[in-house]
Amino acid sequence: MDSLVGFVGKNYVLIAGDTNAGRSIMRLKDDFDKLVPIDSHKILAKSGEIGDGNQFCNLIIRNVSLYRIRNETELTTKSVAHYTRRQLATAIRKNPYSVNLLLGGYDKKDQKGSLYYLDYLGSSKKINYGAQGYAALFVGSILDRFWKEDLDFEDGLELMKKCLREVEKRLIIGTRCFLIKMINSDGISVVEKVMINSKNKNEIEEEN
Amino acid sequence: MFTLGSVLDNELKSSVEDFSFETEFSTNQLMLPNIEKPFEFAQSIISLEKDLDENDNQPMFHQQKKEERKERALIKGSKGTTTLAFIYEKGTVVAVDSRATSGQYIASQSVQKVVPVNQYMLGTLAGGAADCQFFLGHLGRICNLYELRNNEKISVAAASKLLNNILYSYRNYGLSVGSMICGYDTRGPQLYYIDSDGSRLKNSLFSVGSGSPFAYGVLDAGYRWDLSKEDAIDLGRRAICAATFKDSYSGGTVKVYHIDENGWVKISDDDASELWYRYEEKEKKNK
Repeated sequence: MDSLVGFVGKNYVLIAGDTNAGRSIMRLKDDFDKLVPIDSHKILAKSGEIGDGNQFCNLIIRNVSLYRIRNETELTTKSVAHYTRRQLATAIRKNPYSVNLLLGGYDKKDQKGSLYYLDYLGSSKKINYGAQGYAALFVGSILDRFWKEDLDFEDGLELMKKCLREVEKRLIIGTRCFLIKMINSDGISVVEKVMINSKNKNEIEEEN
Repeated sequence: MFTLGSVLDNELKSSVEDFSFETEFSTNQLMLPNIEKPFEFAQSIISLEKDLDENDNQPMFHQQKKEERKERALIKGSKGTTTLAFIYEKGTVVAVDSRATSGQYIASQSVQKVVPVNQYMLGTLAGGAADCQFFLGHLGRICNLYELRNNEKISVAAASKLLNNILYSYRNYGLSVGSMICGYDTRGPQLYYIDSDGSRLKNSLFSVGSGSPFAYGVLDAGYRWDLSKEDAIDLGRRAICAATFKDSYSGGTVKVYHIDENGWVKISDDDASELWYRYEEKEKKNK
Protein backbone atom coordinates (compact mmCIF):
# COMPACT_ATOMS: atom_id res chain seq x y z
CA MET A 1 0.00 0.00 0.00
CA ASP A 2 3.00 2.28 0.19
CA SER A 3 3.92 4.17 -2.94
CA LEU A 4 7.43 5.26 -3.73
CA VAL A 5 8.52 6.89 -6.99
CA GLY A 6 12.01 8.01 -7.92
CA PHE A 7 14.14 9.02 -10.88
CA VAL A 8 17.49 10.53 -11.76
CA GLY A 9 17.84 13.91 -13.44
CA LYS A 10 20.63 16.30 -14.39
CA ASN A 11 22.80 16.31 -11.24
CA TYR A 12 19.93 15.47 -8.92
CA VAL A 13 17.72 12.62 -7.80
CA LEU A 14 14.03 13.10 -7.07
CA ILE A 15 12.23 10.70 -4.75
CA ALA A 16 8.61 10.89 -3.63
CA GLY A 17 6.73 8.79 -1.14
CA ASP A 18 3.22 8.83 0.18
CA THR A 19 2.74 9.90 3.78
CA ASN A 20 0.33 7.28 5.04
CA ALA A 21 1.06 4.89 7.86
CA GLY A 22 -1.68 2.41 8.56
CA ARG A 23 -2.79 -0.90 9.89
CA SER A 24 -5.16 -3.02 7.72
CA ILE A 25 -7.96 -0.66 6.65
CA MET A 26 -7.14 2.13 9.08
CA ARG A 27 -4.84 5.09 8.54
CA LEU A 28 -2.97 5.66 11.79
CA LYS A 29 -0.84 8.61 10.68
CA ASP A 30 -1.06 10.85 7.64
CA ASP A 31 2.24 12.71 7.90
CA PHE A 32 4.62 9.77 8.03
CA ASP A 33 8.01 10.42 6.42
CA LYS A 34 9.19 7.35 4.52
CA LEU A 35 12.21 9.05 2.95
CA VAL A 36 14.90 8.53 5.57
CA PRO A 37 18.28 10.26 5.18
CA ILE A 38 21.26 7.91 5.51
CA ASP A 39 23.76 10.74 5.48
CA SER A 40 23.88 14.19 3.99
CA HIS A 41 23.58 12.98 0.39
CA LYS A 42 21.65 9.71 0.45
CA ILE A 43 18.03 8.81 1.05
CA LEU A 44 16.59 5.41 1.82
CA ALA A 45 12.92 5.31 0.89
CA LYS A 46 11.22 2.47 2.70
CA SER A 47 7.98 0.64 2.06
CA GLY A 48 6.44 -2.41 3.65
CA GLU A 49 6.02 -3.17 7.32
CA ILE A 50 6.54 -0.19 9.57
CA GLY A 51 8.51 -2.00 12.27
CA ASP A 52 10.85 -3.79 9.89
CA GLY A 53 11.36 -0.59 7.92
CA ASN A 54 12.30 1.39 11.03
CA GLN A 55 14.70 -1.20 12.40
CA PHE A 56 16.34 -2.05 9.09
CA CYS A 57 16.84 1.58 8.10
CA ASN A 58 18.31 2.29 11.54
CA LEU A 59 20.70 -0.64 11.05
CA ILE A 60 21.92 0.74 7.72
CA ILE A 61 22.19 4.33 8.93
CA ARG A 62 24.17 3.46 12.07
CA ASN A 63 26.55 1.15 10.24
CA VAL A 64 27.20 3.75 7.55
CA SER A 65 27.90 6.29 10.32
CA LEU A 66 30.26 3.84 11.99
CA TYR A 67 32.13 3.33 8.74
CA ARG A 68 32.49 7.08 8.38
CA ILE A 69 33.79 7.45 11.92
CA ARG A 70 36.24 4.57 11.60
CA ASN A 71 37.57 5.34 8.14
CA GLU A 72 37.05 9.13 7.94
CA THR A 73 35.49 8.81 4.53
CA GLU A 74 31.94 8.78 3.19
CA LEU A 75 30.62 5.77 1.38
CA THR A 76 29.43 6.04 -2.22
CA THR A 77 25.80 5.28 -3.10
CA LYS A 78 26.94 2.11 -4.87
CA SER A 79 28.66 0.83 -1.74
CA VAL A 80 25.67 1.55 0.46
CA ALA A 81 23.39 -0.20 -2.03
CA HIS A 82 25.61 -3.27 -2.02
CA TYR A 83 25.82 -3.30 1.76
CA THR A 84 22.06 -2.93 2.12
CA ARG A 85 21.42 -5.69 -0.39
CA ARG A 86 23.74 -8.01 1.46
CA GLN A 87 21.94 -7.37 4.75
CA LEU A 88 18.61 -8.15 3.10
CA ALA A 89 19.96 -11.25 1.37
CA THR A 90 21.52 -12.81 4.47
CA ALA A 91 18.33 -12.16 6.42
CA ILE A 92 15.83 -13.52 3.92
CA ARG A 93 16.12 -17.19 4.82
CA LYS A 94 16.47 -16.66 8.55
CA ASN A 95 14.92 -13.49 9.79
CA PRO A 96 13.38 -11.70 6.81
CA TYR A 97 12.86 -7.97 6.72
CA SER A 98 9.63 -7.16 4.86
CA VAL A 99 10.91 -3.94 3.34
CA ASN A 100 11.22 -2.80 -0.24
CA LEU A 101 13.53 0.14 -0.76
CA LEU A 102 14.57 2.83 -3.17
CA LEU A 103 18.04 4.14 -2.42
CA GLY A 104 18.86 7.48 -3.99
CA GLY A 105 22.14 9.31 -3.62
CA TYR A 106 24.43 11.96 -5.04
CA ASP A 107 28.17 11.29 -5.25
CA LYS A 108 30.43 14.34 -5.17
CA LYS A 109 33.26 12.45 -6.87
CA ASP A 110 31.29 11.56 -9.98
CA GLN A 111 29.00 14.59 -9.66
CA LYS A 112 26.12 12.35 -10.58
CA GLY A 113 22.99 11.11 -8.91
CA SER A 114 22.11 7.44 -8.79
CA LEU A 115 19.06 5.40 -7.85
CA TYR A 116 18.91 1.78 -6.73
CA TYR A 117 15.91 -0.54 -6.48
CA LEU A 118 16.18 -2.98 -3.54
CA ASP A 119 13.80 -5.78 -2.76
CA TYR A 120 13.01 -7.69 0.45
CA LEU A 121 14.37 -10.82 -1.25
CA GLY A 122 17.77 -9.25 -1.70
CA SER A 123 17.59 -8.11 -5.28
CA SER A 124 19.31 -4.89 -6.23
CA LYS A 125 19.45 -2.97 -9.47
CA LYS A 126 20.75 0.41 -10.48
CA ILE A 127 17.92 2.19 -12.26
CA ASN A 128 17.28 5.55 -13.87
CA TYR A 129 13.66 5.62 -12.80
CA GLY A 130 11.40 3.29 -10.85
CA ALA A 131 8.76 2.84 -8.21
CA GLN A 132 7.81 0.54 -5.36
CA GLY A 133 4.38 -0.64 -4.32
CA TYR A 134 1.15 -0.34 -6.28
CA ALA A 135 2.42 2.93 -7.73
CA ALA A 136 4.85 0.90 -9.84
CA LEU A 137 1.96 -0.43 -11.91
CA PHE A 138 0.66 2.98 -12.85
CA VAL A 139 3.81 5.01 -12.93
CA GLY A 140 6.05 2.57 -14.81
CA SER A 141 4.59 3.36 -18.20
CA ILE A 142 4.54 7.12 -17.61
CA LEU A 143 8.22 7.07 -16.77
CA ASP A 144 8.99 4.85 -19.77
CA ARG A 145 7.23 7.34 -22.02
CA PHE A 146 8.37 10.67 -20.62
CA TRP A 147 11.68 10.16 -18.80
CA LYS A 148 14.73 11.47 -20.63
CA GLU A 149 18.30 11.58 -19.61
CA ASP A 150 19.45 14.84 -17.96
CA LEU A 151 16.07 16.38 -17.22
CA ASP A 152 16.13 19.88 -15.73
CA PHE A 153 14.79 20.29 -12.25
CA GLU A 154 11.56 22.01 -13.36
CA ASP A 155 10.85 19.33 -15.98
CA GLY A 156 11.71 16.63 -13.46
CA LEU A 157 9.33 18.06 -10.87
CA GLU A 158 6.59 18.28 -13.50
CA LEU A 159 7.16 14.63 -14.43
CA MET A 160 7.06 13.61 -10.77
CA LYS A 161 3.77 15.40 -10.25
CA LYS A 162 2.41 13.73 -13.36
CA CYS A 163 3.26 10.37 -11.82
CA LEU A 164 1.75 11.25 -8.45
CA ARG A 165 -1.43 12.54 -10.05
CA GLU A 166 -1.80 9.20 -11.78
CA VAL A 167 -1.31 7.32 -8.51
CA GLU A 168 -3.92 9.46 -6.79
CA LYS A 169 -6.30 9.09 -9.69
CA ARG A 170 -6.13 5.33 -10.23
CA LEU A 171 -5.18 3.73 -6.96
CA ILE A 172 -8.43 2.95 -5.19
CA ILE A 173 -6.73 3.16 -1.80
CA GLY A 174 -6.67 6.86 -0.98
CA THR A 175 -3.19 8.30 -1.15
CA ARG A 176 -3.54 12.04 -1.58
CA CYS A 177 -0.54 13.34 0.30
CA PHE A 178 2.99 12.86 -1.00
CA LEU A 179 6.33 14.11 0.16
CA ILE A 180 8.89 14.92 -2.55
CA LYS A 181 12.57 15.15 -1.68
CA MET A 182 15.52 16.03 -3.86
CA ILE A 183 19.18 15.13 -3.53
CA ASN A 184 21.79 17.22 -5.32
CA SER A 185 25.27 18.57 -4.68
CA ASP A 186 23.95 20.69 -1.79
CA GLY A 187 22.44 17.69 -0.07
CA ILE A 188 18.91 16.60 0.73
CA SER A 189 16.06 19.08 0.56
CA VAL A 190 12.33 18.76 0.84
CA VAL A 191 10.92 20.02 -2.41
CA GLU A 192 7.22 19.94 -1.67
CA LYS A 193 4.60 18.32 0.42
CA VAL A 194 1.92 17.82 -2.18
CA MET A 195 -1.72 17.11 -1.61
CA ILE A 196 -3.35 16.05 -4.84
CA ASN A 197 -7.03 16.42 -5.42
CA SER A 198 -8.40 15.31 -8.77
CA LYS A 199 -11.95 16.56 -8.64
CA ASN A 200 -12.98 15.87 -12.20
CA LYS A 201 -11.43 14.52 -15.34
CA ASN A 202 -10.01 17.71 -16.76
CA GLU A 203 -9.34 19.88 -13.76
CA ILE A 204 -6.61 18.83 -11.39
CA GLU A 205 -5.77 21.00 -8.43
CA GLU A 206 -2.77 20.86 -6.21
CA GLU A 207 -2.34 22.29 -2.78
CA ASN A 208 0.95 22.59 -1.00
CA MET B 1 4.16 -22.20 28.80
CA PHE B 2 7.24 -20.03 28.36
CA THR B 3 9.58 -19.25 31.22
CA LEU B 4 12.18 -16.58 31.55
CA GLY B 5 15.69 -17.57 30.61
CA SER B 6 18.01 -16.53 27.84
CA VAL B 7 18.22 -17.36 24.17
CA LEU B 8 20.82 -16.22 21.67
CA ASP B 9 19.61 -14.46 18.57
CA ASN B 10 22.68 -15.12 16.47
CA GLU B 11 21.53 -13.35 13.35
CA LEU B 12 20.61 -10.15 15.15
CA LYS B 13 23.87 -10.10 17.06
CA SER B 14 26.14 -10.83 14.10
CA SER B 15 24.66 -8.05 12.00
CA VAL B 16 25.19 -5.49 14.75
CA GLU B 17 28.52 -6.98 15.84
CA ASP B 18 30.16 -3.63 15.40
CA PHE B 19 27.94 -2.19 18.11
CA SER B 20 28.42 -4.91 20.70
CA PHE B 21 28.42 -3.17 24.02
CA GLU B 22 26.46 -5.02 26.66
CA THR B 23 23.47 -3.29 28.11
CA GLU B 24 20.72 -4.81 30.11
CA PHE B 25 18.29 -3.34 27.60
CA SER B 26 19.54 -5.48 24.71
CA THR B 27 18.65 -8.90 26.11
CA ASN B 28 16.33 -11.39 24.51
CA GLN B 29 15.02 -13.13 27.60
CA LEU B 30 12.50 -15.69 26.42
CA MET B 31 13.27 -19.37 26.75
CA LEU B 32 11.67 -21.74 24.27
CA PRO B 33 11.02 -25.48 24.69
CA ASN B 34 14.03 -27.74 24.24
CA ILE B 35 13.10 -29.13 20.82
CA GLU B 36 14.66 -29.06 17.39
CA LYS B 37 12.91 -26.03 15.88
CA PRO B 38 11.54 -23.94 18.74
CA PHE B 39 10.83 -20.90 16.62
CA GLU B 40 8.59 -22.84 14.24
CA PHE B 41 6.88 -24.56 17.13
CA ALA B 42 6.02 -21.21 18.67
CA GLN B 43 4.66 -20.01 15.35
CA SER B 44 2.62 -23.13 14.79
CA ILE B 45 0.54 -22.96 17.93
CA ILE B 46 -0.22 -19.27 17.96
CA SER B 47 -2.43 -17.52 15.48
CA LEU B 48 -3.37 -13.87 15.49
CA GLU B 49 -6.52 -12.43 13.91
CA LYS B 50 -4.49 -10.40 11.45
CA ASP B 51 -2.72 -13.54 10.20
CA LEU B 52 -6.05 -14.90 9.06
CA ASP B 53 -6.43 -12.05 6.55
CA GLU B 54 -4.41 -11.48 3.41
CA ASN B 55 -1.06 -9.94 4.10
CA ASP B 56 0.53 -8.61 0.91
CA ASN B 57 3.97 -7.97 2.25
CA GLN B 58 4.65 -11.37 3.77
CA PRO B 59 7.23 -13.59 2.07
CA MET B 60 5.88 -16.65 0.26
CA PHE B 61 6.86 -19.25 2.86
CA HIS B 62 5.10 -17.26 5.56
CA GLN B 63 1.93 -17.37 3.52
CA GLN B 64 2.20 -21.12 3.07
CA LYS B 65 2.60 -21.64 6.78
CA LYS B 66 -0.46 -19.48 7.44
CA GLU B 67 -2.78 -22.27 6.31
CA GLU B 68 -1.12 -24.78 8.64
CA ARG B 69 -1.24 -22.29 11.45
CA LYS B 70 -4.96 -21.64 11.04
CA GLU B 71 -5.72 -25.32 11.55
CA ARG B 72 -3.41 -25.90 14.46
CA ALA B 73 -4.13 -22.68 16.32
CA LEU B 74 -4.53 -23.32 19.99
CA ILE B 75 -4.02 -19.79 21.21
CA LYS B 76 -5.97 -17.07 19.51
CA GLY B 77 -5.14 -13.42 20.08
CA SER B 78 -7.40 -10.57 19.11
CA LYS B 79 -7.48 -6.98 20.20
CA GLY B 80 -11.05 -6.90 21.56
CA THR B 81 -11.02 -3.62 23.36
CA THR B 82 -11.09 0.13 22.84
CA THR B 83 -8.33 2.37 24.10
CA LEU B 84 -7.54 5.86 22.98
CA ALA B 85 -5.17 8.66 23.79
CA PHE B 86 -4.51 12.12 22.44
CA ILE B 87 -2.27 15.06 23.21
CA TYR B 88 -3.41 18.65 23.29
CA GLU B 89 -2.17 22.00 24.52
CA LYS B 90 -2.44 21.27 28.23
CA GLY B 91 -1.40 17.61 28.36
CA THR B 92 -2.39 14.09 27.42
CA VAL B 93 -5.78 12.44 27.82
CA VAL B 94 -6.03 8.64 28.01
CA ALA B 95 -9.39 6.87 27.96
CA VAL B 96 -10.05 3.11 28.01
CA ASP B 97 -12.89 0.65 28.42
CA SER B 98 -12.64 -2.34 30.78
CA ARG B 99 -14.10 -5.40 29.12
CA ALA B 100 -12.20 -8.65 28.54
CA THR B 101 -13.72 -11.23 26.24
CA SER B 102 -12.74 -14.74 25.35
CA GLY B 103 -14.65 -15.51 22.19
CA GLN B 104 -18.24 -14.55 22.83
CA TYR B 105 -17.98 -14.87 26.58
CA ILE B 106 -17.39 -11.73 28.61
CA ALA B 107 -14.67 -12.77 30.97
CA SER B 108 -14.51 -9.56 32.95
CA GLN B 109 -16.03 -6.11 33.03
CA SER B 110 -13.41 -4.59 35.29
CA VAL B 111 -10.02 -5.02 33.69
CA GLN B 112 -7.30 -2.44 34.28
CA LYS B 113 -6.24 -1.49 30.77
CA VAL B 114 -3.99 1.36 31.83
CA VAL B 115 -0.66 0.43 33.39
CA PRO B 116 1.39 3.19 35.00
CA VAL B 117 4.99 3.15 33.79
CA ASN B 118 6.03 5.88 36.23
CA GLN B 119 4.53 9.03 37.74
CA TYR B 120 4.27 10.87 34.43
CA MET B 121 3.84 8.05 31.92
CA LEU B 122 1.01 5.64 31.27
CA GLY B 123 0.85 2.61 29.00
CA THR B 124 -2.38 1.26 27.58
CA LEU B 125 -3.21 -2.37 27.09
CA ALA B 126 -4.70 -3.93 23.95
CA GLY B 127 -4.29 -7.43 22.59
CA GLY B 128 -2.98 -10.10 24.91
CA ALA B 129 -3.49 -8.95 28.50
CA ALA B 130 -0.59 -11.00 29.86
CA ASP B 131 1.83 -9.78 27.19
CA CYS B 132 0.91 -6.15 27.69
CA GLN B 133 0.94 -6.29 31.48
CA PHE B 134 4.30 -8.02 31.56
CA PHE B 135 6.07 -5.83 29.05
CA LEU B 136 4.65 -2.58 30.40
CA GLY B 137 5.61 -3.63 33.92
CA HIS B 138 9.07 -4.50 32.61
CA LEU B 139 9.26 -1.11 30.92
CA GLY B 140 8.44 0.48 34.27
CA ARG B 141 11.37 -1.33 35.87
CA ILE B 142 13.77 -0.28 33.09
CA CYS B 143 12.62 3.34 33.33
CA ASN B 144 13.15 3.30 37.09
CA LEU B 145 16.68 1.95 36.64
CA TYR B 146 17.39 4.63 34.03
CA GLU B 147 16.31 7.35 36.44
CA LEU B 148 18.47 5.96 39.22
CA ARG B 149 21.52 5.57 36.99
CA ASN B 150 21.30 8.83 35.06
CA ASN B 151 19.68 11.06 37.66
CA GLU B 152 17.17 12.40 35.17
CA LYS B 153 13.67 11.48 34.09
CA ILE B 154 13.50 9.28 31.04
CA SER B 155 11.80 10.87 28.03
CA VAL B 156 8.67 9.33 26.54
CA ALA B 157 10.50 8.91 23.22
CA ALA B 158 13.28 6.91 24.89
CA ALA B 159 10.89 4.75 26.91
CA SER B 160 8.82 3.93 23.84
CA LYS B 161 11.98 3.16 21.84
CA LEU B 162 13.14 0.72 24.57
CA LEU B 163 9.81 -1.09 24.48
CA ASN B 164 9.85 -1.05 20.68
CA ASN B 165 13.28 -2.67 20.51
CA ILE B 166 12.29 -5.37 23.00
CA LEU B 167 9.08 -6.17 21.14
CA TYR B 168 10.87 -6.12 17.79
CA SER B 169 13.25 -8.81 18.96
CA TYR B 170 10.19 -10.95 19.73
CA ARG B 171 8.33 -10.07 16.58
CA ASN B 172 7.71 -13.61 15.26
CA TYR B 173 7.00 -15.22 18.63
CA GLY B 174 3.25 -14.64 18.56
CA LEU B 175 3.01 -11.82 21.06
CA SER B 176 -0.01 -9.57 20.80
CA VAL B 177 0.63 -6.07 22.08
CA GLY B 178 -1.02 -2.88 20.86
CA SER B 179 0.07 -0.36 23.41
CA MET B 180 0.25 3.39 23.57
CA ILE B 181 2.91 5.09 25.66
CA CYS B 182 1.47 8.41 26.81
CA GLY B 183 3.26 10.95 28.93
CA TYR B 184 4.46 14.44 29.59
CA ASP B 185 8.14 15.30 29.54
CA THR B 186 10.43 18.24 28.81
CA ARG B 187 9.21 18.34 25.20
CA GLY B 188 5.60 18.63 26.31
CA PRO B 189 2.82 16.07 25.97
CA GLN B 190 3.95 13.02 23.95
CA LEU B 191 2.16 9.99 22.54
CA TYR B 192 3.63 6.90 20.87
CA TYR B 193 1.92 3.82 19.49
CA ILE B 194 3.87 0.58 19.95
CA ASP B 195 2.90 -2.69 18.30
CA SER B 196 4.05 -6.28 18.69
CA ASP B 197 5.02 -6.31 14.96
CA GLY B 198 7.66 -3.77 15.85
CA SER B 199 6.02 -0.55 14.67
CA ARG B 200 6.48 2.66 16.61
CA LEU B 201 4.54 5.73 15.52
CA LYS B 202 4.33 9.22 16.96
CA ASN B 203 1.19 11.21 16.47
CA SER B 204 -1.19 13.49 18.30
CA LEU B 205 -4.01 10.98 18.59
CA PHE B 206 -4.37 7.21 18.44
CA SER B 207 -7.06 4.65 19.12
CA VAL B 208 -6.33 0.94 19.38
CA GLY B 209 -8.56 -2.10 19.50
CA SER B 210 -11.64 -3.56 17.87
CA GLY B 211 -13.68 -0.49 18.78
CA SER B 212 -11.10 1.94 17.46
CA PRO B 213 -12.90 2.88 14.20
CA PHE B 214 -15.90 3.97 16.25
CA ALA B 215 -13.75 5.91 18.66
CA TYR B 216 -11.84 7.56 15.78
CA GLY B 217 -15.11 8.86 14.40
CA VAL B 218 -15.99 10.84 17.51
CA LEU B 219 -12.39 11.73 18.23
CA ASP B 220 -11.55 13.11 14.77
CA ALA B 221 -14.76 15.11 14.69
CA GLY B 222 -14.13 16.86 18.00
CA TYR B 223 -10.35 17.09 18.26
CA ARG B 224 -8.50 20.41 18.33
CA TRP B 225 -5.09 21.26 19.75
CA ASP B 226 -6.48 24.16 21.81
CA LEU B 227 -9.18 22.27 23.70
CA SER B 228 -9.83 23.20 27.33
CA LYS B 229 -9.03 20.54 29.92
CA GLU B 230 -12.73 19.88 30.57
CA ASP B 231 -13.57 19.56 26.87
CA ALA B 232 -10.61 17.29 26.21
CA ILE B 233 -11.58 14.90 29.01
CA ASP B 234 -15.18 14.95 27.84
CA LEU B 235 -14.07 14.18 24.28
CA GLY B 236 -12.09 11.16 25.43
CA ARG B 237 -14.99 9.92 27.52
CA ARG B 238 -17.53 10.37 24.74
CA ALA B 239 -15.32 8.61 22.19
CA ILE B 240 -14.95 5.49 24.36
CA CYS B 241 -18.66 5.62 25.19
CA ALA B 242 -19.48 5.66 21.48
CA ALA B 243 -17.15 2.71 20.87
CA THR B 244 -18.67 0.65 23.71
CA PHE B 245 -22.11 1.38 22.29
CA LYS B 246 -21.23 0.06 18.84
CA ASP B 247 -18.63 -2.63 19.53
CA SER B 248 -19.66 -5.73 21.45
CA TYR B 249 -16.09 -6.47 22.51
CA SER B 250 -15.85 -3.18 24.37
CA GLY B 251 -17.77 -2.17 27.46
CA GLY B 252 -17.70 -2.31 31.20
CA THR B 253 -16.55 0.98 32.62
CA VAL B 254 -15.01 4.01 30.94
CA LYS B 255 -11.85 5.17 32.69
CA VAL B 256 -10.31 8.52 31.84
CA TYR B 257 -6.83 9.71 32.85
CA HIS B 258 -5.10 13.05 32.37
CA ILE B 259 -1.35 13.62 32.27
CA ASP B 260 0.29 17.02 32.65
CA GLU B 261 3.58 18.36 34.02
CA ASN B 262 2.56 17.25 37.54
CA GLY B 263 2.07 13.64 36.55
CA TRP B 264 -0.92 11.45 35.78
CA VAL B 265 -4.28 11.61 37.52
CA LYS B 266 -7.31 9.35 37.22
CA ILE B 267 -10.21 11.61 36.36
CA SER B 268 -13.24 9.36 36.25
CA ASP B 269 -14.54 5.81 36.19
CA ASP B 270 -18.10 5.51 34.84
CA ASP B 271 -20.21 2.57 33.80
CA ALA B 272 -20.36 2.62 29.99
CA SER B 273 -24.07 1.91 29.58
CA GLU B 274 -25.13 4.40 32.25
CA LEU B 275 -22.88 6.97 30.64
CA TRP B 276 -24.60 6.60 27.29
CA TYR B 277 -28.02 7.32 28.74
CA ARG B 278 -26.63 10.17 30.82
CA TYR B 279 -25.37 11.83 27.63
CA GLU B 280 -28.73 11.23 25.98
CA GLU B 281 -30.49 12.96 28.88
CA LYS B 282 -28.06 15.87 28.61
CA GLU B 283 -28.77 16.27 24.90
CA LYS B 284 -32.51 16.25 25.56
CA LYS B 285 -32.14 18.94 28.24
CA ASN B 286 -29.99 21.08 25.92
CA LYS B 287 -32.72 20.96 23.29
